Amino acid sequence: MFNAKNVVAARRHFVKALAAGVAAVAATVSGASRGAAAAATPKKTKRQYGMVIDVRRCIGCHACTVACKSEFGVPLGFTRSWVEYTEKGTYPNVGRSFLPRLCNHCSEPPCVSVCPTNATYRRPQDGIVVIDDGLCIGCKYCIQACPYDARFLNPVTGFADKCDFCIHRVSQGVEPACVNTCIGGARIFGDLSDPGSTVSKLISKNRVTVLRREMGTLPNVYYIGADHTDELDASRPELRQVHVITHRKQRQRR
Amino acid sequence: MGHELAWELPVILYLFLAGLGAGTVTVSASVLLRGGGGGFGGRHFAIARYGALIGPLPVLVGTFFIVFELGRPFRALNLFKLVNLSPMSIGSWLLGLFIVVSLLYALLFLPWPTSISERLQPWRKALSWVCVPLGIGVAVYTGVLLGAMAARPFWNSPILALLFLVSALSTGIATIILAQTLLYKPPPDDPRAKKLFHESGYLLTASDVMLIGFELLVIFLFIMYAYLTVGNARYAIAVILPGGDLAAPFWLWVVLVGLLVPALVELFYVVPKLLYRRDYAAPRVVELAVPIAVLVGGFMLRYVVVVAGQVTGPVGL
Repeated sequence: MFNAKNVVAARRHFVKALAAGVAAVAATVSGASRGAAAAATPKKTKRQYGMVIDVRRCIGCHACTVACKSEFGVPLGFTRSWVEYTEKGTYPNVGRSFLPRLCNHCSEPPCVSVCPTNATYRRPQDGIVVIDDGLCIGCKYCIQACPYDARFLNPVTGFADKCDFCIHRVSQGVEPACVNTCIGGARIFGDLSDPGSTVSKLISKNRVTVLRREMGTLPNVYYIGADHTDELDASRPELRQVHVITHRKQRQRR
Repeated sequence: MGHELAWELPVILYLFLAGLGAGTVTVSASVLLRGGGGGFGGRHFAIARYGALIGPLPVLVGTFFIVFELGRPFRALNLFKLVNLSPMSIGSWLLGLFIVVSLLYALLFLPWPTSISERLQPWRKALSWVCVPLGIGVAVYTGVLLGAMAARPFWNSPILALLFLVSALSTGIATIILAQTLLYKPPPDDPRAKKLFHESGYLLTASDVMLIGFELLVIFLFIMYAYLTVGNARYAIAVILPGGDLAAPFWLWVVLVGLLVPALVELFYVVPKLLYRRDYAAPRVVELAVPIAVLVGGFMLRYVVVVAGQVTGPVGL
């Protein structure tokens, strides 16, 4: 008995020590990675525009898609902003979730780091990732580099094109077209660097996710209640039937 | 498949032709620098000349493809307004420099009168020292260009650039073997000339076998590391593994036609000389068919890699 007790105590002690050690290591690692991230992050922007998409409020009506297309005259077959559907389950236990999409205006944009002419860059004043048509050569390198397929080659201009958070509206103090038109109030736009803004409050009070966090792109579009079911889940029909509808030329997400 | 390919045939051709041309010039300059002491049977200058005169052509044709692929060719000049850390920016400068230097290098090999030609020799050597690193740089950059993106797990491998470099050198040698076979016939009544011809053929073929062996090793490592990873690379590499959409072109055209068959045929003719000091004498048809197979394999490698990278992506959302 005595022996067993001793063993248990020793084990407990060991576990405690281990936990402390792990915590210390984790703290060091996270501190280090935070330091590394800070070093890698480009210059702090004055503002950081961002969007919160409350998927619980989305009804999948595509009004944002249409508003965006008419705002910019986006050519037929292409979208700067769009809504994906994910259908799951087998009848009668089925569900469909919506996922409004747009450029994530990443703080570490991979499209910017591959652009050979600096045509695409992150604006220092508000963190919006934009394309300068005067410099773009249409090489499509940024289209390859974007993990979110947010970019496309505009067949009319011949240059790369994507969402620009409606700079022309935002700079006049008006909301982006997709936000303005959203009947459910699912898209909320604002300044993430201002702790008092609606977006900042929503992010601090809700469980939020970003898309493909593991790519390290630090997106500035946050989702509340997003269904992250993906093509990999769709490849396992034995678990649940999954069908992803992108509503784009790209029938599958990459 | 439902995938939109942003980079299609012009880009694939460019990657192949730029690698091929850079490889040819690199091999030519290396042969010239190695010189008469290298067992080329006194034909090192002729071999260097084939490479020097042919090499710039595929690079120019490839550059033509890539520039006109933009839709607005003159926009390409924007690349030369600045240098940044994008592989495409660095690659464009390298490519521009390579085109200028390789054209100058080719100029020195034109059939000048003997008196002038002799005076040009030091210049040829000097430019060779520039051509080798530049050629390797261009060949490597074609791989780095693809490898730089985390969003493309199939390409995002540190060994892809090495694979493209080895393939570029191998296709470069194949081009020179092909040129020598097509353009030069040793006089039939001169056994010494014939022997020298075969001696140079032996060295080229033996180098090609070595490069192909190395390329097979690099391909093995490329696939193995991707396959043994759990995650993006593993799911991406499945596209060329048995059952994948690109398995047939990869295993049939790249590995079998482009690498295994040429390597085995070349070994069949190289080994007797290598081990038993017998005379190397590959028939003309072999010296035509083998380099053509290597070139086809080199093109198919670029084709499979460029397409595979675009039809696969990171998993997770």
